Amino acid sequence: MGMLNIEGLSFHYPGSTETVLDGVTLVIPDDGIFGLLGPNGAGKTTLISILAGQLRGATGRIAVSGEPLESVRRRQPHCLGLVPQECAFYPMLTCLENLHFFGGVQGLRGVRLRQRVESVVGFTRIEGVLKRRAGQLSGGLKRRLNLAIGLLTEPEMLLLDEPTVGVDPQSRAFLLDSIRSLAGKGRIILYTSHYMEEVQAICDSAAIIDRGRVLVSGRLAEVLLDGSGSLTLRLRAQLPDALAADWRARYALREDGVARYHLRVSSAAAAAQVIEAARAADCEPVAISYGQRDLEQLFMQLTNRSLRD
Amino acid sequence: MHRLLAMWKKEWLALARDVHGLAVLFVMPAAFIVIMSLALSDAFKADTGHQTDFAVLAADGSNLAERLARRLEGDGFRAAPAPDDEAAARAGVRQGKPGLVLLVPRAFERGLREPPDRTNPSQALTLLADPALPPAQLAVFQHRVLGMVLGLRVSAAARISGIADDTGAFDLKRAATLSIEVVGNPRAGRPSSVQQNVPAWLIFGMFFVVMPISSLFIVERREGTLARLASQQVPFSLLLLGKVVPFFVVNLGQAALMLLAGRTLVPWLGGEQLALPARWDLLAAVAASTSLAAIGWGLLVAVCARTMEQATVIGGVGNILAAAMGGIMVPRFVMPDTMQAWVDLSPMAWALDGFHAVILRQGGVLDILAPCLKLLLLAAVLFAATLWAHHRRRI
Repeated sequence: MGMLNIEGLSFHYPGSTETVLDGVTLVIPDDGIFGLLGPNGAGKTTLISILAGQLRGATGRIAVSGEPLESVRRRQPHCLGLVPQECAFYPMLTCLENLHFFGGVQGLRGVRLRQRVESVVGFTRIEGVLKRRAGQLSGGLKRRLNLAIGLLTEPEMLLLDEPTVGVDPQSRAFLLDSIRSLAGKGRIILYTSHYMEEVQAICDSAAIIDRGRVLVSGRLAEVLLDGSGSLTLRLRAQLPDALAADWRARYALREDGVARYHLRVSSAAAAAQVIEAARAADCEPVAISYGQRDLEQLFMQLTNRSLRD
Repeated sequence: MHRLLAMWKKEWLALARDVHGLAVLFVMPAAFIVIMSLALSDAFKADTGHQTDFAVLAADGSNLAERLARRLEGDGFRAAPAPDDEAAARAGVRQGKPGLVLLVPRAFERGLREPPDRTNPSQALTLLADPALPPAQLAVFQHRVLGMVLGLRVSAAARISGIADDTGAFDLKRAATLSIEVVGNPRAGRPSSVQQNVPAWLIFGMFFVVMPISSLFIVERREGTLARLASQQVPFSLLLLGKVVPFFVVNLGQAALMLLAGRTLVPWLGGEQLALPARWDLLAAVAASTSLAAIGWGLLVAVCARTMEQATVIGGVGNILAAAMGGIMVPRFVMPDTMQAWVDLSPMAWALDGFHAVILRQGGVLDILAPCLKLLLLAAVLFAATLWAHHRRRI
């Protein structure tokens, strides 16, 4: 489908002076999954709603391979699939009735509708509950039905707004595997989540937004690259007091939990020396991180660790 | 068209599983029709079957009292034995037994031969009345007494002048032969209570589509399905059309079932049978106009209300107020003039005018034109307001 380019996108709700999106610029490739992270109220859902055509009045430019998204959607009305945060289906209808309804209103019918329903049912593995009313499903099954509806038209652009909220670990693992398998084939997938490990596990690129602004964006490996000389160690035992005092002076040692330490070293060689010294002090490292941050560290660092509603 | 079919199917399935919505649409108006038709059946009869007891206590003796009582009885008034004295009469009326006592002064018959004189005690009649007696019934009896006295006065004058020799020659009941013909009514005599009540409560039930329409719409908004449909480029106008047609069919179904209830259920329970109209096409036109106005109202409430509580208050209470004002709960003719001027503000009154024109008066196209046009205009305004309110909400 080509890349999705968002340039200088700004938005505020009518009657409100608060800017929800403030000049958001993102490049979302069509060869993987793009993770969008941000604290509550950062503007993730607003961005998704604008892309899905639910909110109007935004300024800026949204284009797919240079063509305005609106024009693309006029040409291909069902090229975009949305899997919203809410389980957006009819609780009083059965799963099959829901699938037939959402397929029908998107213009699918006859054999094609049956084929697509069969395909998404198989993909999300909800064969066993097709005759059950959607409102009576477990949280995990509801999420799977929600995903299935979003995939009915085989969209080339898939917007997933926190699709794993409130599900058990097994269902989450299944959903993540399923979503991961959708990547590629020229499909744009935008994935928002609160769960850093999810984004780190399935996304190829990511952006962090806060208060409507993009704080960082790019390939995940690049975003997480850390050139600050930060070394994180988790040791089998706590450091002896004398060694800890020495490292505090030399490497700005900071203790973060039991036997978990953050240091700042000047080079990879210095990091190797520190590790050796720890071993010599009978504090065998069980986890080492150097030159790369995890997403949670980056997120907390960029959003200033402040707790938001 | 296939998208619309999918919408209609969804709406049918959702409504079929909404037990409360179905009860409001079908059970409630049917119950009102049965209860109100039976409860008010006497109020719409010429001969109600209900008798109000009265007595005459004459100071000149029981013979005169009996003669006067014979002249007054009939048409729902039944003569009861005269009380012993005025104190007993007052005590009896206080308990409603009998409901009316006419106190006739001494020398009453002699006073009839004299010109009317307010100061003449022999001409001063007193009517003791039970406070629980309906004012209309009291007024009827009052005029019956005055008519009787007028007859007696004319008879007395005729006897003095030799025209007649019978004191009872001029009786109001025998003054002329008067028959009542209710114009346009399909059955002989006056319209029954079932003919009055079926259209009234049918309209009330039709306007209650506001409840299922708004409840499903609020579920759609709350669950995010409306937003999802918007993201799937389903136009809002298509969504509205997807709701209009199923509820239009529901309203016509209500009309058919309520007529059936008036035709079968009410007589089975002891009430009168509904007389069917001659022009079914006109009935369908009035029902369709009413339905479109009711659905427009339902859609506007659905779009404007944010919660079920709001929808219940705006839609449900709004309907009850419109029914109270529009002559559904209290017939228009019972209302005072000042209140009757307000009746026409209620769309339910327009619908009632249309149904009465077809069911009661056997009217033609011209008779239903004004109410139907008013209802259709209202429907157009409500649909436009719904689109405008939705557009404002969507930014």
